Amino acid sequence: MDERIVVRLVLNGEERSFRVAPGRRLLDLLREDAGLTGTKEGCGAGECGACTVLLDGRPVPSCLVLAASCDGAAVVTVEGLGGPAGSHPFQRALVASGGVQCGFCTPGLVMTGAAVLEAGVTAPADQARLLSGNLCRCTGYVKVFEALRRAGEDGDG
Amino acid sequence: MAEPLGGRHPRPDAVMKVAGSARYVGDLALPGMLHAAIVAAPGAPARVVSLDLEPARAVPGVEAVLAAGDVPGANLVGTIFPDQPLLVEDRVRMVGDRLALVAARTPEAAWTAAAAVEPELEPLPGVHDPVEALEPGAPVVHESGNLVRTFRVRRNAGGDGAASAPVVVEAEYRIGGQEHAYLEPQGCLAIPESRSRITIVASCQCPFYVQHAVARVLGLPLASVRVRQAHTGGGFGGKEDYPSEVAACAAVLAFATGRPVRLIYSREYDLQATTKRHAMVVRHRWGADTDGRLLFAEVESFLDAGAYVGLSTVVAERANVSAIGPYHVPSVKVDTHVVHTNNLFGGAYRGFGAPQVTWAHEATMDRLARAVGVDPVEIRRRNLLTGESCTTCTGQELPSPVLAGACLDRATELAAAWTGSATVAPSPHLRRGTGVALVLYGCNLHHGGQFLDRSSAVVILQPDASAIVRVGLTEMGQGNLASAQTVAAQALGLDPSRVEVWEPDTATVADSGPTVASRGAHSTGLAILDAVRRLRRRLDPVAAGLLGCAPGEVELADGVARVAGDPSRAVPLERVLGEMTARRIETIATGWWRSRPRWFDEATGLGSPYETYAFACHVAQVAVDPELGLVRVEHVAAAHDVGRILHRDAIEGQIQGGIVQAMGWGLLERLELDRGRLLNPSFTDYLIPTASDTPEISMALLEDAPGAGPFGAKGIGEPSFIPTAAAIRNAVCDALGIEIDRLPFTPPVIVDALGTAHPFADLLD
Repeated sequence: MDERIVVRLVLNGEERSFRVAPGRRLLDLLREDAGLTGTKEGCGAGECGACTVLLDGRPVPSCLVLAASCDGAAVVTVEGLGGPAGSHPFQRALVASGGVQCGFCTPGLVMTGAAVLEAGVTAPADQARLLSGNLCRCTGYVKVFEALRRAGEDGDG
Repeated sequence: MAEPLGGRHPRPDAVMKVAGSARYVGDLALPGMLHAAIVAAPGAPARVVSLDLEPARAVPGVEAVLAAGDVPGANLVGTIFPDQPLLVEDRVRMVGDRLALVAARTPEAAWTAAAAVEPELEPLPGVHDPVEALEPGAPVVHESGNLVRTFRVRRNAGGDGAASAPVVVEAEYRIGGQEHAYLEPQGCLAIPESRSRITIVASCQCPFYVQHAVARVLGLPLASVRVRQAHTGGGFGGKEDYPSEVAACAAVLAFATGRPVRLIYSREYDLQATTKRHAMVVRHRWGADTDGRLLFAEVESFLDAGAYVGLSTVVAERANVSAIGPYHVPSVKVDTHVVHTNNLFGGAYRGFGAPQVTWAHEATMDRLARAVGVDPVEIRRRNLLTGESCTTCTGQELPSPVLAGACLDRATELAAAWTGSATVAPSPHLRRGTGVALVLYGCNLHHGGQFLDRSSAVVILQPDASAIVRVGLTEMGQGNLASAQTVAAQALGLDPSRVEVWEPDTATVADSGPTVASRGAHSTGLAILDAVRRLRRRLDPVAAGLLGCAPGEVELADGVARVAGDPSRAVPLERVLGEMTARRIETIATGWWRSRPRWFDEATGLGSPYETYAFACHVAQVAVDPELGLVRVEHVAAAHDVGRILHRDAIEGQIQGGIVQAMGWGLLERLELDRGRLLNPSFTDYLIPTASDTPEISMALLEDAPGAGPFGAKGIGEPSFIPTAAAIRNAVCDALGIEIDRLPFTPPVIVDALGTAHPFADLLD
């Protein structure tokens, strides 16, 4: 008997339908069923943040979200945020600030950063706290903060 | 157009990484591809009594289960010395030793099948401490004995100073290991093309190591193994030697099944099974005169190699000659023992043995400062190598200028600006401290690895005046693509956006050695410059013909060829390339670099282990809560002798990232080992710094002492890391007024070290 569940999503602005096993993670739906490999798996336990996507506008670790629980939700991945050119203000600011090194944490960081900007959080300590769920082993976060600041200023202008 | 050199033009890999379009190994799939998993030993040491693989074969979706006898070539891995079986036959030496390999249609099926195997193991007595491993009667890890090798330095050892020094400081430092915690776990895709040829796509630092390892286990000629580096999500040394094992597993399964096989480690398995920074015990006995001027230094170190040699001997080689730091010491005796235990085997990790010995020599310098009653900065000033006294540990004379003092000056100047500036809110029970630490870093590979110190490049000029650059060293986040692009653009007079540097592929460039030892920008850049020199032998006469000048007068800049000294006479490079294309003049050239030969005596440890050196000084300010043993690093000031800045964002990023990663090692990152088994294999239990932990970082980049790299550049990847933990150690000890000689400074270590000085000690009595 087919136990698969139908999940309808607005995925990166497009209505999509998937049939998934009950235990399937949102991360696997995105990477394998939808072919959106920009979202990375760094730990599979919600510890590193590399798989962060926006679920109804909120950043979540997609490795801890069951795909079947997302029926009717809007999901935005890094591919949907700024397209192939990476045109979201935070993506552009990360490039301009040199805030990208190995790049594996970057898509998740981009999604959290976009949510921080959207929420209008500007105090550096608050920004740091909100980014602390996204581990980065390369940059020491300094240029990431710089990019967030720069994107906030550009976004206002 | 601004000059590319020293600029901040966007890194060539940045847009694809922010857009999510850069594909890492785990993002690559092929039709018919299988997924691999590993059956690993849960405990060690042990004798394999029996290994029943039928439960794995019974799992639906499983296509192959292989044991030691199924390896077609040599069942051996090991970069320096092949002492490690790819698949264990009878003797398990460490937790995580591989017993069998599985390939299945899904990763879930593969790992389920691997977990279904319950090997019958007879436990054997083990040894887990490198000092105990050298005691008589200690369990033996390999029949050759637990002492792998001792490296030495003897320079005027036992001279007058050792007997008569009025001030002697002694200490034993116990320094823990570290997990690399690259965000992308180990991974590899093996694509068999026939029974005699294979392509490997790997997350790795050293494609040529992978090529050798796969050729050995498959029994193929090197030429039949092609390794392409995929985008690599961090390395820090953890993807130097280890990916050879990952690739060997995938390759053996791919050959057995005839299908592409992808092996991606789970985070837990990655933490449990892969190499770590070496834990070390370092003993010091240093003597000085009453003014604190060093008279002698004796250092004896024990490096926990773990169960296999891995890279331990070469790590020890660097630790050995780095043991006394950037100080002038008339009499030196260093012994560095490489010792087997049944722990996880040690490997390369950013700094390669130098961070441990630096932590120790900087702790001893602070002890000495307290013993003679002078300031820690002043004790260093009295002993630093200078233009007048510039003999290193190994007796190598450094050419002027020697920037040790300049680094100390600049870092302390930056730190002076913090006065009164605290990032943690004031509180009566918090204590503040400041610490300083310096490093003398030998650039590139040690003399012992000189045979690998070479690099290959290919430059292909396109008719539209863009350029393809092929290189042999990898991008793992550190910025090798950016520095290679910058060097090529500068040399060709092109905008960096016109230069495309492609990731290494062993089928397109010659073996360029490993991407390690902060040698990437150096080795890659010099090979590119060589290729450009060869191209210009053909390009300059064509340009000269168009310009009406002599070939020797042609210079390339701003996208044009022009007459040196008369920039108004210029032609666009596109026109020069058009002319070359029309005349069918060769527009491809190879480039080659190798380090200059130098003398070094293994027996005495004297000579020139490195061609050039870089100095660095870090100063840290900490706030310590002595009740809880919590440390907050508020500020770090860093001064670095960088030779020449190639790409400014890349170099700053290395320093900022190095500082924060080293802060993790110094304070947070404790490998909890129980008889060689890691008890904290997750990011919940093995903590690395988050965005909330980053201190304020200020830096000075000194360009007054050119190195041997392109345009005078020196490596930065490792010097950025090495001094930080020592500066933090000294700051915490300054804050608390005690000596702490164990790393990391987790809260229990600090509370223990405080002892009766703990604020609640009287209540707990």
